[in-house]
Amino acid sequence: MLPIASSELIQILRNRLVLVTSLIIPFAVSALFVRQHEVFADIGSLGYIAAIVMFTVAAFGLYATAVTTLASRRQNLFLKRLRSTAVADSTILAGLLLPPTTIAVVQVAAILTALAVVAGGPANVALLVLAVIATLAMMIALALATAGLTNSPEHAQVTTLPVTLGVIAVATWVGIAGTENLAWLKRLLPGGAATELAGNAWNGGVAVTDSLLLLAPTLGWVAVAVALATRLFRWEPRR
Amino acid sequence: MSTTPVIEVDRLNLTYGDFPAVRDLSFEVRPGELYALLGTNGAGKTSTLEVVEGHRAPTSGTVRVFGHGPRDRRSVRPRMGVMLQESGFSPDLTVRESVGLIGRLSGRSDDVDRVIDLVDLTDRAGRRVSQLSGGEKRRLDFATAVYGTPELIVLDEPTTGLDIQTRDAVWATVDRLRENGATIVLTTHYLEEAQQRADRIGLMHQGTLDREGTVSELTRSLPAVIQFSLAEPVPVLPRHLVVDADGKVVIETFALQKDLHALLGWAQDHAVELRDLQAGPTRLDDVFRAITR
Repeated sequence: MLPIASSELIQILRNRLVLVTSLIIPFAVSALFVRQHEVFADIGSLGYIAAIVMFTVAAFGLYATAVTTLASRRQNLFLKRLRSTAVADSTILAGLLLPPTTIAVVQVAAILTALAVVAGGPANVALLVLAVIATLAMMIALALATAGLTNSPEHAQVTTLPVTLGVIAVATWVGIAGTENLAWLKRLLPGGAATELAGNAWNGGVAVTDSLLLLAPTLGWVAVAVALATRLFRWEPRR
Repeated sequence: MSTTPVIEVDRLNLTYGDFPAVRDLSFEVRPGELYALLGTNGAGKTSTLEVVEGHRAPTSGTVRVFGHGPRDRRSVRPRMGVMLQESGFSPDLTVRESVGLIGRLSGRSDDVDRVIDLVDLTDRAGRRVSQLSGGEKRRLDFATAVYGTPELIVLDEPTTGLDIQTRDAVWATVDRLRENGATIVLTTHYLEEAQQRADRIGLMHQGTLDREGTVSELTRSLPAVIQFSLAEPVPVLPRHLVVDADGKVVIETFALQKDLHALLGWAQDHAVELRDLQAGPTRLDDVFRAITR
């Protein structure tokens, strides 16, 4: 897995477009939220900022990059080339997805640390870590499913829009409006429960057991996305 | 050397939707031989190879490589090098990085620079794949196929797009690998390459194996041709010769030397000039044309 991951990292660093979309845009957007944290905390809460930062990185930095990468590697038959070797399919996917996932983890950690420094830290770090892991797992699974519907890196600019805009919209809705109304709907939408979980972890005031239940919908989305990916993912371009 | 077939294909069928790409195909590749799978475009050669390489599952039938299913990568791939018909390298990686990556993942070990030198890409080793010409990409592909000197090498149109010098260099490398006992499976559109180098040939047409055998077995099934023109009408033409309207005579024979000798004797005896006389053994091209007629 590591040889594939290191070659993938080299490719990310050599491709300016991927570098900008996966590193600079999420970082810039997140930096704006951290810098203007008082304004956004008034609208929602510090937990909302943590959630929106998490989803900005997960959607633009991880999900969109993963879909673009998989579509590109399939289009130029690099996936087929890798499958001509002795490594298993799962190892190939893990190697390809490890660099954008690692970059996303580092970005989220750095930005949330910055938020903690300027505005005060989270009430429950472990819960926040769980929220981040569940969110990243959901976005990776959704990326695998979306890659099955994406013919080329250019096509990825269109196919990634529903999920990227969708999860940001849900995170904003849940983060600002809370879950007093339409709680079940908000929690069942992709990103809704994870936003509430991240908010609870940062703001505190909710029992840990109640917060942990919020992992279920996110893990459910992971299962749905993996099932979709199993049916949709293709290793070679359509004939 | 073992006599157990390296590749066993038994009643293989492969369909794309409703289209039968390969139909009831059976053949074996023996250890150390060069087996050429030839056919027209769309005959099913690449589809067959893709099943052998484990890229595609058969619709029905069985394929074994070294006694294993071709999708058992851990067992098969360290012993098998594959040169795909299309490149499949990342444009942002260099030649050295590409050979190193695919080589390491192959389960074989080798010196990356030695392999790059083998295909004469040393001066391109630091260049990105996107900067290579088509021929250079084919050489890179060949380099990854022969990395670690595998026991079985599948070459899908290996010399397409190569100049004559590079083509010769590729075949010289293949010859060296064969001297060390490697088994080669080849598809090519250059019939003369198959005629010169293959131990056995499978001729595919419309998804089936139309004929199989050595070059001499395949060509023996068709008559050789002697042809010439007559400058003027001949009063005593042998009765089995037919002159067409242009004065051209075509003789099909399974005894080329004997009949050519008799023809020249007859022409000498009757002072007949045989214009544009051509005679030659049956070639693979003729067999190829015969099955596609």
